[in-house]
Amino acid sequence: MKPLHTLARGAMASLAGQRLALAGALVLLWWAGAQGMPSFVLPGPSRVLQALEVLWHSETFTRDVLATCRRVLAGLGLAMLVGTLAGLALGASRALARFFEPVLAVFNTVSSAIWAIFAIIWFGISDATTVFVVFMTAMPLILTSVWQGAQAVEPQYVDLARSFRLSRWQILRKIHAPSILPHFFSGARLAFGFGWRVSLVAETIGASDGIGYRLRQAADLVQTDQVFAWTVLLVGLMLLIEGGVLKPAERRLFRWKSASLAPPSSHAGRRAAAVSQPTES
Amino acid sequence: MTGAAQPALEARGLVKRYGGLDVLSGVDLSVHTGEVLALVGPSGCGKSTLLGILSGLLSADAGSLDVAGVPARCFAQWQRIAYMFQEDRLLPWRSVRDNVALGLEGQGLGRAQRAQRVDEALRMVGLLHVADAWPHELSGGMRSRVALARSVAVLPAVLLMDEPFSKLDPQTRAQMHAQLLRIHAGSGTTVVFVTHDMEEAVVLADRIVRLVPSPGRIAEVIELGDLPRPRDPVAQGVAERVRDLRARMVMGPEGLQ
Repeated sequence: MKPLHTLARGAMASLAGQRLALAGALVLLWWAGAQGMPSFVLPGPSRVLQALEVLWHSETFTRDVLATCRRVLAGLGLAMLVGTLAGLALGASRALARFFEPVLAVFNTVSSAIWAIFAIIWFGISDATTVFVVFMTAMPLILTSVWQGAQAVEPQYVDLARSFRLSRWQILRKIHAPSILPHFFSGARLAFGFGWRVSLVAETIGASDGIGYRLRQAADLVQTDQVFAWTVLLVGLMLLIEGGVLKPAERRLFRWKSASLAPPSSHAGRRAAAVSQPTES
Repeated sequence: MTGAAQPALEARGLVKRYGGLDVLSGVDLSVHTGEVLALVGPSGCGKSTLLGILSGLLSADAGSLDVAGVPARCFAQWQRIAYMFQEDRLLPWRSVRDNVALGLEGQGLGRAQRAQRVDEALRMVGLLHVADAWPHELSGGMRSRVALARSVAVLPAVLLMDEPFSKLDPQTRAQMHAQLLRIHAGSGTTVVFVTHDMEEAVVLADRIVRLVPSPGRIAEVIELGDLPRPRDPVAQGVAERVRDLRARMVMGPEGLQ
Protein backbone atom coordinates (compact mmCIF):
# COMPACT_ATOMS: atom_id res chain seq x y z
CA MET A 1 0.00 0.00 0.00
CA LYS A 2 1.22 3.48 -0.81
CA PRO A 3 1.69 5.88 2.07
CA LEU A 4 -1.19 8.28 2.34
CA HIS A 5 0.70 11.49 1.68
CA THR A 6 2.25 10.33 -1.61
CA LEU A 7 -1.16 9.19 -2.70
CA ALA A 8 -2.54 12.64 -1.94
CA ARG A 9 0.38 14.27 -3.71
CA GLY A 10 -0.24 12.14 -6.78
CA ALA A 11 -3.89 13.12 -6.82
CA MET A 12 -2.92 16.79 -6.44
CA ALA A 13 -0.49 16.58 -9.34
CA SER A 14 -3.08 14.92 -11.54
CA LEU A 15 -5.61 17.62 -10.63
CA ALA A 16 -3.12 20.37 -11.44
CA GLY A 17 -2.45 18.69 -14.78
CA GLN A 18 -6.14 18.61 -15.56
CA ARG A 19 -6.51 22.27 -14.68
CA LEU A 20 -3.57 23.21 -16.92
CA ALA A 21 -5.04 21.19 -19.78
CA LEU A 22 -8.40 22.90 -19.33
CA ALA A 23 -6.81 26.37 -19.36
CA GLY A 24 -4.77 25.44 -22.45
CA ALA A 25 -7.87 24.16 -24.27
CA LEU A 26 -9.80 27.34 -23.47
CA VAL A 27 -6.99 29.59 -24.68
CA LEU A 28 -6.73 27.50 -27.84
CA LEU A 29 -10.47 27.78 -28.43
CA TRP A 30 -10.26 31.53 -27.85
CA TRP A 31 -7.37 31.83 -30.28
CA ALA A 32 -9.16 29.79 -32.97
CA GLY A 33 -12.36 31.81 -32.53
CA ALA A 34 -10.47 35.09 -32.78
CA GLN A 35 -8.92 34.07 -36.12
CA GLY A 36 -12.15 34.56 -38.07
CA MET A 37 -13.41 37.66 -36.29
CA PRO A 38 -12.59 41.37 -36.33
CA SER A 39 -10.56 42.30 -33.26
CA PHE A 40 -13.14 44.74 -31.92
CA VAL A 41 -15.52 41.81 -31.51
CA LEU A 42 -13.13 39.15 -30.22
CA PRO A 43 -9.48 40.09 -29.84
CA GLY A 44 -7.03 37.18 -29.78
CA PRO A 45 -4.93 36.17 -26.76
CA SER A 46 -1.76 37.87 -27.96
CA ARG A 47 -3.56 41.15 -28.53
CA VAL A 48 -5.12 41.02 -25.07
CA LEU A 49 -1.71 40.30 -23.58
CA GLN A 50 -0.35 43.41 -25.30
CA ALA A 51 -3.28 45.48 -23.99
CA LEU A 52 -2.63 44.10 -20.52
CA GLU A 53 0.98 45.26 -20.69
CA VAL A 54 -0.04 48.72 -21.84
CA LEU A 55 -2.60 48.85 -19.06
CA TRP A 56 -0.06 47.76 -16.46
CA HIS A 57 2.26 50.62 -17.39
CA SER A 58 -0.43 53.27 -17.76
CA GLU A 59 -0.42 56.22 -15.34
CA THR A 60 -3.88 55.66 -13.90
CA PHE A 61 -3.64 51.88 -13.40
CA THR A 62 -2.60 51.84 -9.74
CA ARG A 63 -5.01 54.64 -8.89
CA ASP A 64 -7.94 52.83 -10.54
CA VAL A 65 -7.27 49.52 -8.83
CA LEU A 66 -6.79 51.19 -5.46
CA ALA A 67 -9.94 53.28 -5.88
CA THR A 68 -12.03 50.18 -6.53
CA CYS A 69 -10.40 48.27 -3.67
CA ARG A 70 -10.99 51.18 -1.32
CA ARG A 71 -14.69 51.35 -2.19
CA VAL A 72 -15.20 47.60 -1.94
CA LEU A 73 -13.40 47.41 1.40
CA ALA A 74 -15.32 50.39 2.80
CA GLY A 75 -18.64 48.86 1.73
CA LEU A 76 -17.71 45.44 3.07
CA GLY A 77 -16.36 46.85 6.32
CA LEU A 78 -19.57 48.74 6.97
CA ALA A 79 -21.61 45.70 5.96
CA MET A 80 -19.70 43.48 8.39
CA LEU A 81 -20.13 45.94 11.24
CA VAL A 82 -23.84 46.56 10.70
CA GLY A 83 -24.62 43.01 9.58
CA THR A 84 -22.89 41.46 12.60
CA LEU A 85 -24.51 43.77 15.13
CA ALA A 86 -27.96 43.41 13.56
CA GLY A 87 -27.54 39.65 13.20
CA LEU A 88 -26.58 39.34 16.87
CA ALA A 89 -29.57 41.47 17.88
CA LEU A 90 -31.97 39.33 15.83
CA GLY A 91 -30.34 36.19 17.21
CA ALA A 92 -30.75 37.44 20.77
CA SER A 93 -34.42 38.35 20.48
CA ARG A 94 -37.01 36.15 18.80
CA ALA A 95 -39.57 38.97 18.86
CA LEU A 96 -37.19 41.35 17.14
CA ALA A 97 -36.39 38.70 14.52
CA ARG A 98 -40.05 38.04 13.79
CA PHE A 99 -40.70 41.75 13.42
CA PHE A 100 -37.82 42.45 11.04
CA GLU A 101 -37.88 39.29 8.95
CA PRO A 102 -39.96 40.85 6.09
CA VAL A 103 -37.44 43.68 5.76
CA LEU A 104 -34.73 41.12 5.17
CA ALA A 105 -36.83 39.44 2.49
CA VAL A 106 -37.24 42.79 0.73
CA PHE A 107 -33.50 43.44 0.91
CA ASN A 108 -32.81 40.07 -0.63
CA THR A 109 -35.16 40.57 -3.58
CA VAL A 110 -34.04 44.07 -4.62
CA SER A 111 -31.44 43.79 -7.37
CA SER A 112 -28.07 45.47 -7.02
CA ALA A 113 -28.80 47.34 -10.25
CA ILE A 114 -31.75 49.03 -8.54
CA TRP A 115 -29.58 49.99 -5.56
CA ALA A 116 -27.11 51.44 -8.06
CA ILE A 117 -29.81 53.61 -9.63
CA PHE A 118 -30.94 54.83 -6.21
CA ALA A 119 -27.33 55.51 -5.32
CA ILE A 120 -26.89 57.69 -8.43
CA ILE A 121 -29.99 59.64 -7.52
CA TRP A 122 -28.91 60.11 -3.91
CA PHE A 123 -25.13 60.39 -4.10
CA GLY A 124 -24.37 61.28 -7.73
CA ILE A 125 -20.92 60.51 -9.09
CA SER A 126 -18.95 59.84 -5.92
CA ASP A 127 -17.32 57.14 -3.80
CA ALA A 128 -20.50 56.92 -1.76
CA THR A 129 -22.43 55.49 -4.71
CA THR A 130 -20.23 52.41 -5.02
CA VAL A 131 -19.83 52.00 -1.27
CA PHE A 132 -23.60 52.12 -0.87
CA VAL A 133 -24.26 49.47 -3.53
CA VAL A 134 -21.62 47.14 -2.06
CA PHE A 135 -23.05 47.70 1.41
CA MET A 136 -26.64 47.00 0.37
CA THR A 137 -25.58 43.81 -1.38
CA ALA A 138 -23.21 42.49 1.28
CA MET A 139 -24.97 43.50 4.48
CA PRO A 140 -28.02 41.18 4.20
CA LEU A 141 -25.74 38.23 3.44
CA ILE A 142 -23.69 38.82 6.57
CA LEU A 143 -26.72 39.60 8.68
CA THR A 144 -28.42 36.34 7.64
CA SER A 145 -25.31 34.27 8.34
CA VAL A 146 -24.66 35.79 11.76
CA TRP A 147 -28.32 35.45 12.67
CA GLN A 148 -28.32 31.78 11.74
CA GLY A 149 -25.08 31.33 13.65
CA ALA A 150 -26.53 33.01 16.73
CA GLN A 151 -29.50 30.65 16.61
CA ALA A 152 -27.18 27.66 16.33
CA VAL A 153 -25.27 28.40 19.56
CA GLU A 154 -25.55 25.32 21.81
CA PRO A 155 -27.45 26.21 25.02
CA GLN A 156 -25.54 23.32 26.63
CA TYR A 157 -22.27 25.16 26.17
CA VAL A 158 -23.76 28.34 27.59
CA ASP A 159 -24.87 26.38 30.68
CA LEU A 160 -21.40 24.92 30.96
CA ALA A 161 -19.86 28.39 30.98
CA ARG A 162 -22.46 29.56 33.49
CA SER A 163 -21.64 26.62 35.75
CA PHE A 164 -18.09 27.98 35.92
CA ARG A 165 -19.49 31.41 36.81
CA LEU A 166 -18.13 33.09 33.71
CA SER A 167 -19.53 36.58 33.27
CA ARG A 168 -22.04 37.45 30.57
CA TRP A 169 -19.34 39.15 28.53
CA GLN A 170 -17.01 36.15 28.90
CA ILE A 171 -19.76 33.78 27.77
CA LEU A 172 -20.38 35.97 24.73
CA ARG A 173 -16.67 35.92 23.89
CA LYS A 174 -15.85 32.32 24.72
CA ILE A 175 -19.02 30.49 23.66
CA HIS A 176 -21.06 32.66 21.28
CA ALA A 177 -18.24 34.17 19.25
CA PRO A 178 -16.50 30.87 18.33
CA SER A 179 -19.88 29.25 17.58
CA ILE A 180 -20.91 32.06 15.26
CA LEU A 181 -17.52 32.54 13.58
CA PRO A 182 -17.88 29.77 10.94
CA HIS A 183 -21.27 31.17 9.93
CA PHE A 184 -19.90 34.70 9.82
CA PHE A 185 -16.97 33.57 7.74
CA SER A 186 -19.08 31.83 5.11
CA GLY A 187 -21.34 34.89 4.93
CA ALA A 188 -18.39 37.24 4.65
CA ARG A 189 -16.88 35.17 1.85
CA LEU A 190 -20.10 35.26 -0.08
CA ALA A 191 -20.46 38.99 0.58
CA PHE A 192 -16.93 39.55 -0.66
CA GLY A 193 -17.66 37.78 -3.96
CA PHE A 194 -20.91 39.58 -4.58
CA GLY A 195 -19.69 42.94 -3.30
CA TRP A 196 -16.67 42.88 -5.57
CA ARG A 197 -18.79 42.12 -8.63
CA VAL A 198 -21.49 44.71 -7.97
CA SER A 199 -18.88 47.37 -7.25
CA LEU A 200 -17.94 47.24 -10.95
CA VAL A 201 -21.54 47.70 -11.99
CA ALA A 202 -21.85 50.68 -9.66
CA GLU A 203 -18.61 52.18 -10.97
CA THR A 204 -19.69 51.95 -14.59
CA ILE A 205 -22.44 54.46 -13.87
CA GLY A 206 -21.44 56.23 -10.68
CA ALA A 207 -17.71 56.93 -10.70
CA SER A 208 -15.05 58.85 -12.59
CA ASP A 209 -12.25 56.41 -11.87
CA GLY A 210 -11.84 52.81 -10.77
CA ILE A 211 -11.91 49.52 -12.65
CA GLY A 212 -15.62 49.67 -13.50
CA TYR A 213 -15.27 53.16 -14.93
CA ARG A 214 -12.30 52.11 -17.11
CA LEU A 215 -14.23 49.08 -18.30
CA ARG A 216 -17.10 51.22 -19.49
CA GLN A 217 -14.74 53.75 -21.02
CA ALA A 218 -12.99 51.01 -22.98
CA ALA A 219 -16.33 49.63 -24.11
CA ASP A 220 -17.54 53.09 -25.21
CA LEU A 221 -14.39 53.55 -27.28
CA VAL A 222 -14.72 50.00 -28.66
CA GLN A 223 -11.34 49.06 -27.16
CA THR A 224 -12.43 45.48 -26.77
CA ASP A 225 -8.88 44.28 -26.10
CA GLN A 226 -8.77 46.53 -23.03
CA VAL A 227 -12.08 45.16 -21.77
CA PHE A 228 -10.61 41.70 -22.09
CA ALA A 229 -7.41 42.79 -20.38
CA TRP A 230 -9.32 44.15 -17.36
CA THR A 231 -11.36 40.97 -17.20
CA VAL A 232 -8.28 38.76 -17.20
CA LEU A 233 -6.80 40.95 -14.50
CA LEU A 234 -9.89 40.73 -12.33
CA VAL A 235 -10.17 36.97 -12.63
CA GLY A 236 -6.51 36.63 -11.69
CA LEU A 237 -6.92 38.93 -8.70
CA MET A 238 -9.97 37.06 -7.44
CA LEU A 239 -8.26 33.69 -7.73
CA LEU A 240 -5.27 35.10 -5.88
CA ILE A 241 -7.38 36.42 -3.00
CA GLU A 242 -9.43 33.24 -2.82
CA GLY A 243 -6.46 30.90 -2.83
CA GLY A 244 -3.96 33.12 -1.07
CA VAL A 245 -6.04 34.68 1.68
CA LEU A 246 -9.51 33.22 2.17
CA LYS A 247 -8.80 29.49 1.84
CA PRO A 248 -5.74 29.53 4.13
CA ALA A 249 -7.58 31.71 6.64
CA GLU A 250 -10.48 29.28 6.70
CA ARG A 251 -8.18 26.30 7.10
CA ARG A 252 -6.39 27.97 9.99
CA LEU A 253 -9.54 29.19 11.75
CA PHE A 254 -11.43 25.94 11.49
CA ARG A 255 -8.66 23.40 11.84
CA TRP A 256 -10.51 21.92 14.83
CA LYS A 257 -13.09 20.42 12.49
CA SER A 258 -12.49 16.83 11.50
CA ALA A 259 -12.84 15.79 7.91
CA SER A 260 -15.74 13.55 8.91
CA LEU A 261 -17.73 16.41 10.41
CA ALA A 262 -19.77 18.36 7.88
CA PRO A 263 -18.92 22.02 8.44
CA PRO A 264 -22.03 23.79 9.71
CA SER A 265 -21.10 26.81 7.63
CA SER A 266 -21.47 25.15 4.24
CA HIS A 267 -25.18 24.65 4.69
CA ALA A 268 -25.80 28.22 5.75
CA GLY A 269 -23.62 29.42 2.90
CA ARG A 270 -25.62 27.52 0.34
CA ARG A 271 -28.85 28.80 1.78
CA ALA A 272 -27.66 32.38 1.80
CA ALA A 273 -26.47 31.93 -1.78
CA ALA A 274 -29.86 30.64 -2.83
CA VAL A 275 -31.63 33.52 -1.12
CA SER A 276 -29.42 36.13 -2.70
CA GLN A 277 -29.40 34.75 -6.21
CA PRO A 278 -31.63 37.49 -7.65
CA THR A 279 -29.33 40.23 -6.34
CA GLU A 280 -26.44 39.21 -8.53
CA SER A 281 -26.20 41.44 -11.53
CA MET B 1 -15.86 11.97 57.14
CA THR B 2 -18.80 13.33 59.11
CA GLY B 3 -18.81 15.68 62.01
CA ALA B 4 -16.99 18.62 60.41
CA ALA B 5 -17.85 21.89 62.08
CA GLN B 6 -19.60 23.44 59.11
CA PRO B 7 -21.56 21.68 56.37
CA ALA B 8 -20.33 22.32 52.83
CA LEU B 9 -23.91 22.81 51.68
CA GLU B 10 -26.96 23.31 53.85
CA ALA B 11 -30.37 23.34 52.18
CA ARG B 12 -33.53 24.14 54.14
CA GLY B 13 -37.09 23.77 52.88
CA LEU B 14 -36.23 23.80 49.16
CA VAL B 15 -39.34 23.97 46.95
CA LYS B 16 -39.39 23.86 43.16
CA ARG B 17 -42.52 23.83 41.01
CA TYR B 18 -42.85 23.37 37.26
CA GLY B 19 -46.37 24.36 36.28
CA GLY B 20 -48.65 22.75 38.85
CA LEU B 21 -46.15 20.01 39.62
CA ASP B 22 -44.20 19.94 42.90
CA VAL B 23 -40.82 18.68 41.77
CA LEU B 24 -39.34 19.38 45.18
CA SER B 25 -41.47 19.95 48.24
CA GLY B 26 -39.56 21.16 51.23
CA VAL B 27 -36.23 19.37 51.00
CA ASP B 28 -33.79 19.69 53.91
CA LEU B 29 -30.30 18.43 53.19
CA SER B 30 -26.98 18.94 54.87
CA VAL B 31 -23.89 17.93 52.91
CA HIS B 32 -20.87 17.39 55.16
CA THR B 33 -17.54 18.85 54.15
CA GLY B 34 -15.39 16.26 52.42
CA GLU B 35 -18.02 13.54 52.06
CA VAL B 36 -19.20 11.74 48.94
CA LEU B 37 -22.98 11.90 48.73
CA ALA B 38 -25.17 10.06 46.23
CA LEU B 39 -28.67 11.15 45.21
CA VAL B 40 -30.77 8.23 43.97
CA GLY B 41 -34.43 7.71 43.17
CA PRO B 42 -36.80 6.99 40.30
CA SER B 43 -37.30 9.41 37.40
CA GLY B 44 -39.23 12.50 38.42
CA CYS B 45 -38.15 12.46 42.07
CA GLY B 46 -36.35 15.76 41.59
CA LYS B 47 -32.77 14.60 42.15
CA SER B 48 -31.41 16.43 39.09
CA THR B 49 -33.43 19.51 40.04
CA LEU B 50 -31.97 19.37 43.56
CA LEU B 51 -28.46 19.14 42.11
CA GLY B 52 -29.25 22.07 39.79
CA ILE B 53 -30.32 24.20 42.74
CA LEU B 54 -27.22 23.24 44.73
CA SER B 55 -25.11 24.35 41.76
CA GLY B 56 -26.84 27.67 41.36
CA LEU B 57 -27.84 26.91 37.76
CA LEU B 58 -31.48 26.65 38.89
CA SER B 59 -33.17 28.78 41.49
CA ALA B 60 -35.58 27.43 44.10
CA ASP B 61 -39.10 28.81 44.46
CA ALA B 62 -38.78 28.72 48.25
CA GLY B 63 -36.27 27.70 50.87
CA SER B 64 -32.69 28.66 51.53
CA LEU B 65 -29.25 27.38 50.69
CA ASP B 66 -26.02 28.07 52.53
CA VAL B 67 -22.67 27.41 50.91
CA ALA B 68 -19.98 26.95 53.54
CA GLY B 69 -22.15 28.89 55.95
CA VAL B 70 -22.76 31.79 53.59
CA PRO B 71 -26.26 32.36 52.13
CA ALA B 72 -26.22 31.45 48.43
CA ARG B 73 -27.45 34.81 47.25
CA CYS B 74 -23.92 35.79 46.31
CA PHE B 75 -23.51 32.65 44.22
CA ALA B 76 -22.06 34.37 41.18
CA GLN B 77 -19.00 35.28 43.22
CA TRP B 78 -18.74 31.82 44.73
CA GLN B 79 -16.39 30.17 42.28
CA ARG B 80 -15.53 26.94 43.96
CA ILE B 81 -18.51 24.80 43.03
CA ALA B 82 -17.88 22.73 39.89
CA TYR B 83 -20.69 21.04 38.01
CA MET B 84 -20.16 18.01 35.81
CA PHE B 85 -22.88 17.46 33.26
CA GLN B 86 -24.24 14.17 31.99
CA GLU B 87 -22.61 14.88 28.61
CA ASP B 88 -18.94 15.80 28.49
CA ARG B 89 -19.71 19.12 26.74
CA LEU B 90 -16.19 19.62 25.46
CA LEU B 91 -16.02 22.67 23.22
CA PRO B 92 -15.10 21.34 19.78
CA TRP B 93 -13.14 24.46 18.79
CA ARG B 94 -10.80 24.23 21.79
CA SER B 95 -7.93 21.83 22.24
CA VAL B 96 -8.02 19.49 25.23
CA ARG B 97 -5.74 21.88 27.13
CA ASP B 98 -7.93 24.90 26.43
CA ASN B 99 -11.06 22.97 27.34
CA VAL B 100 -9.62 22.18 30.75
CA ALA B 101 -8.69 25.85 31.13
CA LEU B 102 -12.25 27.09 30.57
CA GLY B 103 -13.25 27.17 34.23
CA LEU B 104 -10.02 28.91 35.20
CA GLU B 105 -10.57 31.75 32.77
CA GLY B 106 -13.22 33.21 35.03
CA GLN B 107 -10.87 33.27 38.00
CA GLY B 108 -8.41 35.97 37.03
CA LEU B 109 -5.32 33.76 37.22
CA GLY B 110 -2.10 34.57 35.43
CA ARG B 111 -1.26 32.68 32.27
CA ALA B 112 1.54 30.66 33.83
CA GLN B 113 -0.49 29.74 36.88
CA ARG B 114 -3.38 28.68 34.67
CA ALA B 115 -1.15 26.50 32.50
CA GLN B 116 0.25 24.85 35.60
CA ARG B 117 -3.20 24.06 36.99
CA VAL B 118 -4.31 22.67 33.62
CA ASP B 119 -1.26 20.42 33.43
CA GLU B 120 -1.85 19.19 36.97
CA ALA B 121 -5.48 18.37 36.25
CA LEU B 122 -4.61 16.55 33.03
CA ARG B 123 -1.89 14.59 34.80
CA MET B 124 -4.40 13.61 37.48
CA VAL B 125 -6.64 11.94 34.87
CA GLY B 126 -3.62 10.59 32.97
CA LEU B 127 -4.18 12.59 29.79
CA LEU B 128 -1.29 15.03 29.75
CA HIS B 129 0.00 13.36 26.57
CA VAL B 130 -3.10 14.36 24.56
CA ALA B 131 -3.20 17.96 25.81
CA ASP B 132 -2.89 19.35 22.30
CA ALA B 133 -5.42 17.03 20.65
CA TRP B 134 -8.87 18.14 19.51
CA PRO B 135 -11.89 16.68 21.35
CA HIS B 136 -13.14 14.84 18.24
CA GLU B 137 -9.94 12.83 18.21
CA LEU B 138 -10.62 11.29 21.64
CA SER B 139 -12.64 8.24 22.70
CA GLY B 140 -15.73 8.58 24.88
CA GLY B 141 -13.84 7.56 28.00
CA MET B 142 -11.05 10.03 27.33
CA ARG B 143 -13.57 12.79 26.75
CA SER B 144 -15.13 12.03 30.14
CA ARG B 145 -11.75 12.24 31.77
CA VAL B 146 -11.11 15.61 30.14
CA ALA B 147 -14.45 16.79 31.50
CA LEU B 148 -13.44 15.55 34.96
CA ALA B 149 -10.09 17.34 34.63
CA ARG B 150 -11.91 20.53 33.65
CA SER B 151 -14.01 20.27 36.80
CA VAL B 152 -11.16 19.53 39.20
CA ALA B 153 -8.88 22.16 37.63
CA VAL B 154 -10.81 24.90 39.40
CA LEU B 155 -9.94 23.17 42.71
CA PRO B 156 -13.60 22.98 43.67
CA ALA B 157 -14.63 22.81 47.30
CA VAL B 158 -17.75 21.03 46.06
CA LEU B 159 -17.99 18.88 42.95
CA LEU B 160 -21.54 18.27 41.71
CA MET B 161 -22.09 15.54 39.11
CA ASP B 162 -25.25 14.69 37.18
CA GLU B 163 -24.91 11.06 36.08
CA PRO B 164 -21.49 11.87 34.67
CA PHE B 165 -20.46 8.32 33.81
CA SER B 166 -23.81 6.93 32.66
CA LYS B 167 -22.86 6.93 28.99
CA LEU B 168 -19.64 4.99 29.43
CA ASP B 169 -19.13 1.25 29.09
CA PRO B 170 -18.88 -0.63 32.44
CA GLN B 171 -15.12 -1.05 32.30
CA THR B 172 -14.42 2.62 31.58
CA ARG B 173 -16.94 3.57 34.24
CA ALA B 174 -15.07 1.50 36.83
CA GLN B 175 -11.83 3.26 35.85
CA MET B 176 -13.54 6.64 36.23
CA HIS B 177 -14.76 5.62 39.71
CA ALA B 178 -11.23 4.74 40.79
CA GLN B 179 -9.91 7.98 39.36
CA LEU B 180 -12.59 10.04 41.04
CA LEU B 181 -11.96 8.41 44.44
CA ARG B 182 -8.22 8.97 44.09
CA ILE B 183 -8.78 12.65 43.32
CA HIS B 184 -11.24 12.89 46.19
CA ALA B 185 -8.80 11.32 48.60
CA GLY B 186 -6.07 13.71 47.48
CA SER B 187 -8.09 16.92 47.60
CA GLY B 188 -10.78 16.46 50.23
CA THR B 189 -13.32 17.84 47.80
CA THR B 190 -16.95 17.38 48.76
CA VAL B 191 -18.72 15.34 46.07
CA VAL B 192 -22.46 15.18 45.42
CA PHE B 193 -23.63 13.08 42.49
CA VAL B 194 -26.86 11.86 40.94
CA THR B 195 -27.00 8.30 39.66
CA HIS B 196 -29.38 5.63 38.43
CA ASP B 197 -26.75 2.99 39.00
CA MET B 198 -27.11 1.51 42.53
CA GLU B 199 -23.74 -0.18 42.29
CA GLU B 200 -22.12 3.17 41.48
CA ALA B 201 -23.86 4.73 44.49
CA VAL B 202 -22.64 2.03 46.90
CA VAL B 203 -19.08 1.91 45.53
CA LEU B 204 -18.56 5.67 45.71
CA ALA B 205 -20.71 7.18 48.44
CA ASP B 206 -20.33 7.77 52.17
CA ARG B 207 -24.06 8.45 52.33
CA ILE B 208 -26.91 7.79 49.94
CA VAL B 209 -29.93 10.08 49.85
CA ARG B 210 -32.97 8.30 48.43
CA LEU B 211 -35.66 10.55 46.98
CA VAL B 212 -39.24 9.64 46.03
CA PRO B 213 -41.48 11.44 43.52
CA SER B 214 -44.85 13.27 43.55
CA PRO B 215 -44.10 15.38 45.36
CA GLY B 216 -40.32 15.09 45.24
CA ARG B 217 -38.92 14.60 48.75
CA ILE B 218 -36.25 12.74 50.69
CA ALA B 219 -37.43 9.29 51.79
CA GLU B 220 -34.33 8.28 53.72
CA VAL B 221 -30.61 8.79 54.14
CA ILE B 222 -28.53 5.60 54.10
CA GLU B 223 -25.17 5.57 55.89
CA LEU B 224 -22.36 3.63 54.23
CA GLY B 225 -19.56 4.85 56.47
CA ASP B 226 -19.18 1.36 57.96
CA LEU B 227 -18.40 -0.20 54.59
CA PRO B 228 -14.59 -0.44 54.17
CA ARG B 229 -12.83 1.03 51.14
CA PRO B 230 -11.80 0.33 48.46
CA ARG B 231 -15.11 -1.27 47.60
CA ASP B 232 -15.08 -4.01 45.05
CA PRO B 233 -18.57 -4.29 43.54
CA VAL B 234 -18.39 -8.09 43.58
CA ALA B 235 -17.23 -8.32 47.23
CA GLN B 236 -19.95 -9.80 49.37
CA GLY B 237 -20.53 -6.84 51.71
CA VAL B 238 -20.79 -4.41 48.82
CA ALA B 239 -23.05 -6.63 46.72
CA GLU B 240 -25.35 -7.04 49.73
CA ARG B 241 -25.73 -3.28 50.14
CA VAL B 242 -26.45 -2.92 46.42
CA ARG B 243 -29.19 -5.59 46.67
CA ASP B 244 -30.59 -3.90 49.76
CA LEU B 245 -30.63 -0.52 48.01
CA ARG B 246 -32.42 -1.96 44.98
CA ALA B 247 -35.02 -3.51 47.29
CA ARG B 248 -35.56 -0.21 49.09
CA MET B 249 -36.15 1.47 45.72
CA VAL B 250 -39.04 -0.91 45.14
CA MET B 251 -40.40 -1.57 48.62
CA GLY B 252 -39.44 1.43 50.71
CA PRO B 253 -37.29 1.65 53.88
CA GLU B 254 -38.20 -1.89 55.06
CA GLY B 255 -36.05 -3.20 52.25
CA LEU B 256 -35.12 -6.83 52.59
CA GLN B 257 -36.15 -7.22 56.21
